[in-house]
Amino acid sequence: MGNIMDLPAMASKNQTLMRLENVSRNFVMGEVIVEALRDVTLEIKAGEILAILGPSGSGKSTLLNIMGGMDRPSTGRVSYAGEDLTRVSDDLLGRFRRHEVGFVFQFYNLIPDLTAWENVEIAAELVKSPSSVAKVLEEVGLADRAYHFPSQLSGGEQQRVSIARAMVKNPRLLLCDEPTGALDHQTGSMVLSLLANVSRSLGSAVVIVTHNTVIGDMADRVIRMRSGKVAEIITNPDPLPPERISW
Amino acid sequence: MAVALVVMIGVSIYISMNTAYYNLDHSRDVFYRENHFADYYFHVVRAPYQVIKRIEALSGVDMVTGRVQMDVPLMRENADRGTIRLTGYHLPLDKEVNRIQLLSGRMFDKDPSGGRIEVLTDPQFAAANRLNPGDSLVVAAQGREVTLTVTGTAGGPEFIYPMKDAASLMPEPESFGIIMAPLNQVQQVLGYPGQVNQVLITVAPGYDEEKVAEQVEKILEPYGNLASYPRKDQLSHAMLDAELEGLQKSASSLPAVFLVLAAIIQYVMLGRMIKTQRREIGILKALGFDRRRIVMHYAGYSMMITLLGAVLGIIFGIMLSSVFSKAYAIFFNLPQEIGGLNVKAIFYGLIFSLAAGAAAGLGASRGILSLNPAESMRSEPPRVSGRIGLERWTWLWRKLDNYWRMSIRTVWRNGWRSFFTMVGVMFAAGMLIIAFFADDSMDYMLTQHFAFEKSYDYLIRFTEPVKEYEILNISRLEGVVKSEPLLEVPVRVSFGVREEDDLLLGMNPGTTLKTVFNEDGDLLAIPQDGVLMNDMTAKKLGVKVGDKVTIETRMQSGVSQETSLKVLGINHQMIGSGSYVSLKQANQVLRESRIVTAVMLKVDPGKAADIEKELNRMTGVSSIQSRQRELEGFEKQMGYMIYFVVIMVSFAVILGFAIVYNSSVIGFSERQRELALLKMMGFSDREVGGLLLRETLLQSIPGMLLGLPFGRMMSQWWVAAISTEAFTFPVVVYPRTYIVSAIFGVLFVLAAHWFASRGIRHIEPTELLKNND
Repeated sequence: MGNIMDLPAMASKNQTLMRLENVSRNFVMGEVIVEALRDVTLEIKAGEILAILGPSGSGKSTLLNIMGGMDRPSTGRVSYAGEDLTRVSDDLLGRFRRHEVGFVFQFYNLIPDLTAWENVEIAAELVKSPSSVAKVLEEVGLADRAYHFPSQLSGGEQQRVSIARAMVKNPRLLLCDEPTGALDHQTGSMVLSLLANVSRSLGSAVVIVTHNTVIGDMADRVIRMRSGKVAEIITNPDPLPPERISW
Repeated sequence: MAVALVVMIGVSIYISMNTAYYNLDHSRDVFYRENHFADYYFHVVRAPYQVIKRIEALSGVDMVTGRVQMDVPLMRENADRGTIRLTGYHLPLDKEVNRIQLLSGRMFDKDPSGGRIEVLTDPQFAAANRLNPGDSLVVAAQGREVTLTVTGTAGGPEFIYPMKDAASLMPEPESFGIIMAPLNQVQQVLGYPGQVNQVLITVAPGYDEEKVAEQVEKILEPYGNLASYPRKDQLSHAMLDAELEGLQKSASSLPAVFLVLAAIIQYVMLGRMIKTQRREIGILKALGFDRRRIVMHYAGYSMMITLLGAVLGIIFGIMLSSVFSKAYAIFFNLPQEIGGLNVKAIFYGLIFSLAAGAAAGLGASRGILSLNPAESMRSEPPRVSGRIGLERWTWLWRKLDNYWRMSIRTVWRNGWRSFFTMVGVMFAAGMLIIAFFADDSMDYMLTQHFAFEKSYDYLIRFTEPVKEYEILNISRLEGVVKSEPLLEVPVRVSFGVREEDDLLLGMNPGTTLKTVFNEDGDLLAIPQDGVLMNDMTAKKLGVKVGDKVTIETRMQSGVSQETSLKVLGINHQMIGSGSYVSLKQANQVLRESRIVTAVMLKVDPGKAADIEKELNRMTGVSSIQSRQRELEGFEKQMGYMIYFVVIMVSFAVILGFAIVYNSSVIGFSERQRELALLKMMGFSDREVGGLLLRETLLQSIPGMLLGLPFGRMMSQWWVAAISTEAFTFPVVVYPRTYIVSAIFGVLFVLAAHWFASRGIRHIEPTELLKNND
C-alpha cells in the first residue's frame, strides 16, 4: 500500500470507501477463544450515514476498532479506497487514522488540560489542510465557550467539542461509538443533528455504533449485529431527520 | 522498585557510615585506654629525668612519662632527605604514658649486642619505604650519621594519624616517619644523658586538668618550658576527632535525606494507586471490610517495599562498611582490625526506614477513611483544569504550542508532585556538586599555594641557627638562581589573658620566593617592624589590626625572650600557618643579629639533581623540602578521593533516576487514557513520548538549576560542619564542575524518562473504547 495521504479523492456519493470481506476476529481469553467477529462482510459508502446496531457483546466495538485501523482482523481482508489495510505497518495505520478518520466517543475523551479551542486545534495540526478552528466551533455552536476547559463544560458541550475535533480534520470517515450514550434526549438529538450535518456538508461517511435502535431511523443503511455476525443489512430509503426521532 | 532503591541507598549509607564511625570510635577508645593516652603534653628544652618523680608526687597526676623526642634528618641514598621523629621509650613499657604496641616484627632490645641501636617504625613509613626487620636507616644527629636497625613496626595512641605538623595537609609516609627506640639509646644519640625534653601525664579522674597542668608547668619552669598543650590539641587526636565528627554528621544527615525522599516518593505513588483503585476499595468497604484493614493493606504494601529496600540496604551497607573500614585502615594506625558488624546500626537502619515507609503508607491511605462506599465505587470525576498564572503573560503563552501548554498545565496542576520531583532532582544535582567540589577545592588550594604562596623549588632547614653569610655556601652552588633567607622562631603569642603557640617567620621585605596574602587574596608586604599575624592565631586570641601582642620565644636552646609587637595585618594561608615579620625583627625578638634557620632556593631545573646531591651531603642541613615532591605527594593523596567521588556520584545518579522515573511512571499511568487518545488520533509514539518528556523536563530542569547552587550551599554547610579551629578549607566549585554535574543530571533524567515511557509502544488505542460500560 502506498502513502495513505495520497489516496485518490472520491467525492461522489455511494462509491465504496471501505470494504470488509469475510472478516473474523478471535480473542484468546485465558483458555477459551472468544470469536468477537465471525465472517463479516460489509462496506461503507462515501458520504453515507451507517448505523451499526446490536446488543452488548454483539461485536460492535470490535468492528469499530477494525474500521478505525486500531485492530486487525484474524482472518479476512479490509480495504480502504481500494487499498488493502490488512497487512500494513502500525506506522501506516497510524497515518491512516491521522488523515482519514475522525472519532467520537461515548465519554468524549477530551484532553482536560486543554481548552475547547486547543482540543480542536491540536487535531487540526495533525493534517495538512484542516478547517478553521473558529469555523467548526461556530458550527457546533460553541464559539462563545471556546476558551473553557472540559471540566467547565456540560456533557453535551463536551460531546460537541469532540465532534468539532473530529470535523476539523475533514475526515472521510467519522466513527462514532455510542455518541449519545451519556447524554439526555434533547442534547443527544442535537448531537445527532450535528453528525448528520457533517455527513452532508463534508461528505464524510458517518458510522454510528449504538444499541439504541431508534438511531437507525436517521441512517441511510442499518447493519444489525448479533453474536459477532451481521444479522441483516437494511437500506433505509427515507431516513428521518434527526430532530424527528425520539427515544 | 525505585523506592526500594532509594531506601537501599539510605540504609546502606546509614549502616556503613555508622558502622565505620562506631568501629573507629570504639577501637580508638580502647586503644587510648589500653595505652594510657596522655592528657597533657609539656615540651621543655632539657630537664633531668628525676624531675618526673616530683611531678608524679603532685595530686591529680595519675601517670607520668619523661622522654626524649626530636625530629632528625633521615639520610638516604638516591633519594631526598626525610624527617624522622625519634622517640625514646623507657622499658618496660607497662607504666609508660602513650605506650606503644608492637604490630609486626619484634620489640627493640635496650642494649643489643654489637652496639647496634634497635628501633621500631610506624607501619605507613615502613610500607612506603619498604622497610623490613633487619634493614637499617641512617639519620643525622649531633652532626654525625647514626645507623638504626629496624626490628619491626609499632603503633601508639599519638601516632594514629602520623602527621608531621599542622602545616602539612596529609601524612607523607615516604618522607616522614615515627621511629621508636629505647630511651637510653635516644638520650645517647641526641645528647640528652639522663635528661628528657618532653613530659607526658595522665590526669587522675575528678581533677581539673588545667589546674594540674599549671602545677606541672611550675615545676618545669626552670628547664625552659617550650610548649604545653592538652590532648585535644595533639595533632593526631585532633585530626581523628575532626574525621569522626564529620563522619557522625554525614552518617546522620545523608541517610535522612534518602529516607525522607523515599517516603515522599512512596506517599505520592500510593496516593496514585489508591486513586485508581477507589472502585475496588469501595467494593471492599461495601462488602463490610473495616477501614483499618484497608488502610493496613496499603500501609503494609509500602512497608513491604521499604523492607525490601532495607534488606538490600543492609546487605549492601555491610559490604560498604568493609570498604570504609579498609579505607580508614589506610589512613589511621589502629592495631585492631577496624571491622565488625554494628548490630545497633543495622537495627536502627531497619527501624528508621520502616518508620518512614509506614508513615508514607498511612499518610497516603488516610484519604480512604473519608470515602463512603457508594461514592468510591463511582468512577473518578473528570480532572479539573484551568488557566494557570503563567497564561497572564500572553506574549509568552501565545508563543507556546499546544504540547507545551498541555505539559505546563499538567505539571502545574500536579502541584505537590511536581514540586517533590523538582526538590528530588535538586537534591540529586546538589549531591553531584558535593561529590565533585572537594576535588575542586583541593585543586584550588594547591594551585593557590604552589602558584602564589611559595615559588621556591627547595626549602633547606638547618639543624641549628646559622649566620646569614653562611648560607653563601648554598647560594653559591652552581645552578642556584636565587636564594632568600628565612628565620623560623617558635613563639608563644599572648594578648590579654589568652595565649597561643605560633611560628614566627622572618623574611626580608621584598622576598619573592614566599609571599603573604590576606583573606581577600591581596598581597601583603612584609613590614620592617610589627607582625602580620596568622588569621587562625588572631581569631583565637581575638586580635585585630593595630593591637599590641606579646611574643615569647620558645627556641630549643637559649633563654626565652619577650618582645611586644604591633599587629600590622592579618595573613591567610591556604596551606600552612605562621605569622610573618621582617628578618631584622625576628632577630631582634631573639636578641640576635643576622641569624637564619633556613634558606629558600630557586634553581635551574637542569641542575636540580646535582644541587640536591650536594645538599644531602651537608650535615648542617636538617631537611630539604622539594616543591616538586610535595606537589606529587598531594596529587597522589588526592587520587584516593576518586573512590569517594565515584560512590557519591553513583548515589546521586540513582537518587535522581529513581525520583524522575517514579514521577514519570505515575504521570504515564495516570494519563494512559489521554495517551491512548492521542495515539488513536494518529499521533506517533515519538510525538506522545515527546509530550511526556516535556513534562519531565519541566520538573527536572528547574530542579537541576536550583540543585547546582544548592549543592554549593550544602558543600558550605558541610565544610562548616567539619571545620575545626586548626583545619578548614575554602569551598570552591569550578564552572567545569557545574557543567559535568549538569551532564550527569541530564543523563539520569533522560534514562529515567526512557525507562518510564517504554510502555508507550504498548498502549492500545482500543483501550479507550473499553470500560465505558
